[in-house]
Amino acid sequence: MDGRNYTPAEMMAIMTCKEFKDWENVFVGIGIPLVAGILAKRFHAPHLSLVYESGSIGPEKMRVDFNVGDSSAADYALSLSSEWHVFGDLQCGFYDVGVLGAAQIDRYGNLNTTAIFGEGDYYKPKVRLPGSGGGNDIGSSVGRVVVMMKLERHRFVEKVDYLTTPGFLDGTPGARERAGLLGDGPSAVVTDKALFYFDSETREMYLDTIYPGVKIDDVKASVGWDLKISKDLKTAPFPTEAELNALRTADPANLIMGGARERDNLSGIDEYVKITLENAYRKEI
Amino acid sequence: MMSVSSKVGSNNANKVMSLKDAVSKYAVDGSTICFGGFIGRDCVAVVHEIIRQGIKGLTVIDDSKTDIMDLLVGAGCIKRWEGAYLGYGAIGLAPNIRRAVEKGVPQPIEVEDWSNAAISMRYLAGALNIPFMATRSMLGSDILKYNKRIKVINDPYEGKPLALVPAVRPDVAFIHVQRADAMGNAQVWGFTGNDENKVRAAKHTVITCEEIVSPEEIRRNGNLTIIPFYCVDAVVQVPYGCHPQSCYGYYAYDVLFCGEYHKTSSTREGFLKWLDTYVFGCEDHNAYCNKVGWSRLQKLTYLERQFNRIHA
Repeated sequence: MDGRNYTPAEMMAIMTCKEFKDWENVFVGIGIPLVAGILAKRFHAPHLSLVYESGSIGPEKMRVDFNVGDSSAADYALSLSSEWHVFGDLQCGFYDVGVLGAAQIDRYGNLNTTAIFGEGDYYKPKVRLPGSGGGNDIGSSVGRVVVMMKLERHRFVEKVDYLTTPGFLDGTPGARERAGLLGDGPSAVVTDKALFYFDSETREMYLDTIYPGVKIDDVKASVGWDLKISKDLKTAPFPTEAELNALRTADPANLIMGGARERDNLSGIDEYVKITLENAYRKEI
Repeated sequence: MMSVSSKVGSNNANKVMSLKDAVSKYAVDGSTICFGGFIGRDCVAVVHEIIRQGIKGLTVIDDSKTDIMDLLVGAGCIKRWEGAYLGYGAIGLAPNIRRAVEKGVPQPIEVEDWSNAAISMRYLAGALNIPFMATRSMLGSDILKYNKRIKVINDPYEGKPLALVPAVRPDVAFIHVQRADAMGNAQVWGFTGNDENKVRAAKHTVITCEEIVSPEEIRRNGNLTIIPFYCVDAVVQVPYGCHPQSCYGYYAYDVLFCGEYHKTSSTREGFLKWLDTYVFGCEDHNAYCNKVGWSRLQKLTYLERQFNRIHA
């Protein structure tokens, strides 16, 4: 049975979760990427191990985190380690896949999470963003990168204002290796309207799968370059009821998927504690 | 280079002091500081006290430190930030950081961008007392373009590109832990961030903790003592010292309080009102807890202990 009543953010989480394989070690960030990781563990990838840059390895996710440093990021972890060790393990090649968000992306999957300044000045940006965090480290060294972001024209740009995290750099063959980067670079870009992959020769992003009800022209109009489209363009299935239920249980107060306005729907801390505990995912461990 | 004898002589059996005294002694105007934890175990109470004492001109060198940096920047305490991440995760961007960088309000701050692994390596170099460390991060990125202190070399053994980052030797590290003894042996549960390296790199370390326990209690689980006494200058008991952030095994993240801060601080006026209420309007951390409400804090403890407990 499929579910026809879902939000674009929910579809994005469900499509992202399909990019993970069982037994992989995934370096996750906060927000929707984390929800996607939780979802994968409840369906096709029960042995997926999540890793957080704060030093938590293999937690059992029973409640959502609001940042990678929440105590919840450590719930029932297999190993509670340090930040520098986890980054060392990243360079050693232990982590198969990383999930990153960004404010801007170009056709080669280079990401900007530092500042928006257009033709202006990095030192006097229009919008100061958080910065690299561990994003650059993950994008440099993890096996492959899944990017998650909203499909919007001001995000999918010809040139990022600041290259925080390398994708395929200028797209020339061997560009990453020449720079000294270890990982294979971006493998997928999951958005709220469509899924993109990268051509193995040209390293350019192309449209692979469109979500139900989305028009190709809308996708093309949301991308700041002449987007290539797969000859074998697919349409994603509707999410199943089971997927949507799992997703909504994982984020019971809808604070991650729904964003800031959802906080106002809670009467206070008592309701927050109650909802969190009632929906805590407990399996025999 | 730090001389090998420069830290000797700080040993004694009782390093316990008040938060007020520890901050005024070690966080002086113009000093370079870092904080422990990784968003969770943030030194929020320490930062409130720094703001109350009006300390200015600070340089913070750190990995991901949003909540406390947003407060410090908004309160005008910061001259310079060398770090990796200032954002509220799923909550949003950092309002005071944005105002300072974009508009110079209340004052401009110098920002030098690094990645989390780069900052981790800078602290590891500091902890090893060597001048730099190498990383495979940041290569090919614009972080290199704007930060000339990162040196890309072809490594002398394999000839491949590698980024060198300089050691950090901050004046003081403030680290919040679950338990410490009066001598300064500090035990941490949960992930440990870069704490073990920060305390070794820093010239002085102030430990704030949920509980002070006996050295005998510490000896039962020496594996948990990631910070040994000889790194530590002061020990301060500050229960709920991370609120609204979490402290593993003690209390969960107060997402609603943090969200309220974020909303209120979206305007400069709102932020100043927040400071008046929760920082200047509270004589000390105990008064802050009174204002937040002990019953609220205990609910966060109740929530956390459904998931994580410390096993001593």
